[in-house]
Amino acid sequence: MNSFEELDRVIDRILAGSETPAAASLELVELAALASELRHLPRTDFKARLRMELEWQISGRSVTASPEWKKDVVQAHAADAAALFGKTAGLYPVRPVNLVASLALHTALLLFMGVGLVIVKSTQRVTPLTASGVTRLDPYISPASLRESRGGGSGGPADKIHASQGPAPRFAREQLAPPVVLPEVRPILQVESTIVGPPDLNLPQISQVGDPLSRLLVPSAGTGVHGGIGENEGGGDGIGHGPGRGPGSGGGCCNGIYSVGDGVSSPRVIYKPEPDYSDEARKIRLQGVVVVSAVVAPDGRPTRLRIARSLGMGLDEKALEAVNRWRFEPARKAGQPVAVQISIEVDFHIFY
Amino acid sequence: MSVVCNLVDERQLIEAAQQDPGRFAELYEKNFHRVYAFVARRVRNREEAEDVTAEVFHEALRNLGRFQWRGAPFAAWLLRIAANTLADRWQRAAKNGCAARTIEDADRAVFVEAGIERHAILSQLVDRLPPDQRLVIVRRFVDEKSVREISAELGRSEGAIKQLQFRALENLRSQVRSDEHE
Repeated sequence: MNSFEELDRVIDRILAGSETPAAASLELVELAALASELRHLPRTDFKARLRMELEWQISGRSVTASPEWKKDVVQAHAADAAALFGKTAGLYPVRPVNLVASLALHTALLLFMGVGLVIVKSTQRVTPLTASGVTRLDPYISPASLRESRGGGSGGPADKIHASQGPAPRFAREQLAPPVVLPEVRPILQVESTIVGPPDLNLPQISQVGDPLSRLLVPSAGTGVHGGIGENEGGGDGIGHGPGRGPGSGGGCCNGIYSVGDGVSSPRVIYKPEPDYSDEARKIRLQGVVVVSAVVAPDGRPTRLRIARSLGMGLDEKALEAVNRWRFEPARKAGQPVAVQISIEVDFHIFY
Repeated sequence: MSVVCNLVDERQLIEAAQQDPGRFAELYEKNFHRVYAFVARRVRNREEAEDVTAEVFHEALRNLGRFQWRGAPFAAWLLRIAANTLADRWQRAAKNGCAARTIEDADRAVFVEAGIERHAILSQLVDRLPPDQRLVIVRRFVDEKSVREISAELGRSEGAIKQLQFRALENLRSQVRSDEHE
């Protein structure tokens, strides 16, 4: 048996816990004594691990130093879910601060993924009112004249139902007879019914007059009084007061609203909060443009907001809410602020 | 002269560690093998030796501010902590009905044993062996694997493993001798 074999046999017996066996030579005796001491070597990673624990202790962090410490930690965290939050293999203790920070971070991350990934951005553009490509859903307002013109009218024979649909009567400078929807008595001297306004304003005419904005087909002159068509009084046609047409009062048309151009400047947005996205639209990722028709009053506030092009799914309402909070530097004519009719495009887009 | 210089250096190092605990790592590196050797000779297994060693250094770090230099090596203070820790453990074990052990008064007053120094040196010398010899020593004596298992792991013949084992021990013996002569 050579020296290698004999030494290995001796080492086997040492590791088995036997007394150091007798060896053939002095050299082997010395080597066996060394081998016996080597049984007490620490594990290779123990020194580095303990140093790391000490550095943690120096930096003020808790470490798994002793069984007592481990017991304290277990007791301190007994209320915690031991399986989830317990120490891992006794090497890396769970630190409550880290645990809380980790939970907060993950919660924020989940919220970001759930909501924040859908970044909603909307852009708005103010354009002068144009009819092309816009489906007008708002109440009919006759085109504004370059000159300020006030007017509006309504009336009716106090019928039980609102005015029925039909074109407004012809404009005339004087009103000889207010419009009627169903003349009950055929008069001896027939006079054409008119409403007061510039005679050169031409509206489409058919035989049966009525409120152009009404949806009722059953003939009715409306719930107003003192003749005319509509819900108020005055012998006109529409929602105003007086013998004219449309909103406003007195004769004429359109309550003094201008169009941009020909000496009328465009209003300029000075405050425009962003519209929100509706939940329904976000769910189906609906995108597009909502066109809002508005009259910018001389004080810069948008009034008479109407949806001119709809997207639905709650975006119309969101657009109206936003535009209603906008503020403008009003349009001007000859240096004086005037009300103008404009269209506002509210752009809804989802960026991923 | 060199012993005096070492003590002066150690005293400065201790004072520095008392001011800045980050310097304790240097004291740890200098004394780890001594403490481990002292403990390992007195406990039953490696796990217990590691537990006690860790406890000794954590205790030392906690109480470093109270350490007062009296001319004895820092290792003596650490070994005293180790002896007390072992005594406490054995007392608790005795109360719990486990086989009682006693620690000799001489152990409580221990300073530096020649055997401990030799073992500490041996541990450090293992780290300096050539990589293949060191691996065989670690597998054989720390992991307690047989030559057959090591040969299968390293893909070498059992004879080659036994030869590496022999050469490693010879290396260690010659280096221990030269260290002792120094």
